[in-house]
Amino acid sequence: MSNSHLFLPSGFPRAPLQNGIGRFVCQLQRITIKFCKSNGSSRGVREFIEKDLLDFAHNYPGIVVYVKPRRHHSPCLSAEYLNGERQYVNCHNHSRDEVIKWVNLLRTESGNQIIRLRKMWHTDCPSIQGPWSPFVNRDPHLNVVEFPNESLSRPVYLPKTATEQLKEIFEKQRQTNVSSLDEKQAE
Amino acid sequence: MCKVCVVCIETMAARQTILNIQNLVNPSLLTVKRNYKRWLAPTLKELKRRKMKMGPEPPTRRSAFLEWNYHAELFAFGKRLGEEFRKDLLQRAFTHRSYIVQEEMRQKEVGIEDPKLSLEDNQEFIRRGETLMSEYLKCHLRVALPRFPEEGICAVHGYLMTDKTLAHVSRHLGTKDIILSSDFPVEEVTLATTLKALVGALAESSGAVRAREFVRDFILTQLAGRDINEFWEIKDPMRTLADILKRDGRGEPEPRLINESGRNTILATYQVAVYSDKQFIGLGYGESISIAVEMAAHDALKRLFHTTENMKPIPFTVDVRSMSYDESKWNTSVNDWSSAKVENVDC
Repeated sequence: MSNSHLFLPSGFPRAPLQNGIGRFVCQLQRITIKFCKSNGSSRGVREFIEKDLLDFAHNYPGIVVYVKPRRHHSPCLSAEYLNGERQYVNCHNHSRDEVIKWVNLLRTESGNQIIRLRKMWHTDCPSIQGPWSPFVNRDPHLNVVEFPNESLSRPVYLPKTATEQLKEIFEKQRQTNVSSLDEKQAE
Repeated sequence: MCKVCVVCIETMAARQTILNIQNLVNPSLLTVKRNYKRWLAPTLKELKRRKMKMGPEPPTRRSAFLEWNYHAELFAFGKRLGEEFRKDLLQRAFTHRSYIVQEEMRQKEVGIEDPKLSLEDNQEFIRRGETLMSEYLKCHLRVALPRFPEEGICAVHGYLMTDKTLAHVSRHLGTKDIILSSDFPVEEVTLATTLKALVGALAESSGAVRAREFVRDFILTQLAGRDINEFWEIKDPMRTLADILKRDGRGEPEPRLINESGRNTILATYQVAVYSDKQFIGLGYGESISIAVEMAAHDALKRLFHTTENMKPIPFTVDVRSMSYDESKWNTSVNDWSSAKVENVDC
């Protein structure tokens, strides 16, 4: 997470209305294209309307397209989604390709508020085995132990002390000495 | 030169210039003077002050906007859901009785003696849609959860048919702006009844099978990711469990404390298992022994009804034609539920 995301609300990815489990519904319900008929900043949008808008409307009949000319203003796209949210894109001096890209982006969005995703997946049932507790897979013999118990009171893991390590080394050396003596006697 | 001056005057506001008008007498002496607009900030402040004084704006109907085409909206509504509605039926499904009454009153106020509207309301569609929806939901739930008692099925069905659930679905299908009704903003009841009317209109235009698929895809899927047991509260689980075991010819349920931790502290926890004839049937936790016993009984019942957390999920893609809609195929009631009765059902 970078500092630019500090003020973004965070959350998990959610599909509106369990979209996609039953059938997929395009969440963009209407798009309004506002532009000027003469201003140069609307040139790309005008080209989009002339060349691509009919195909767009034909391919996606579930989206209502409104075209609204207005004099001497920057062009913009105003998208309304099924969840009641509204997205607004300023298309000042955009080329035709840029307008196509923005329209496709608006079409494929869910309309949910933009959030910082804490994870890229989400599940309501994190474990089908049930939650873990200290009692899970507990040794049954612990049920009949009487406390205080000496062996259970000791630490589970104790590292070897220096004395023990020295004793081990001494024992090893003595063993090797004995074996070499045996070999010499055999010769 | 003169022509340029005229253009300058026309676009004065846009270019943020102030022309010395007196120089127009002699166009060759035209000078353009730029100033700070000292009036702008005070004007905006005053406008904002007045706006704040007026309070928040009341919400406006989407249909009152300039960019609004009711027929285009109706057309897109059906296409969006992938359904073929008959246009007149769809419009009728969206027209509530209250809207017609309101329009007639309005016409009377204007002075029309005998107001006539060529609109029909959706009362009949609502009735028909509700019956179809209710019937199908119950049938699907019985097929998906054959061991779940009928009371539970009714509880889940009740949750799905509440105004809150239906209004949520209806709002997210985009009916909010298209509804013709006198209440604004649209109330939950209106949204829910509109959804019922839509199902009725769909059954009328494309047949009952399509309508059932609509119910399956949009209303039943509200159960995805939900725990089935949370909709149905069993009052006395231990007694219910004892009755069921008795009908099965098994021994009395016997709760045993199998683990405990932190007794006499505020974080005390107990683990209780229920046994019948020395056979394990359920396990529960609780902060006191009585709660743990109750939870264990709940768990034993869940295991009997096959509605544990790791149950097979409810299928949302079943072919609706394969289901039979007869009343005799009810699930067993919890009062005569026994393992023998649900032995033959496939699950």
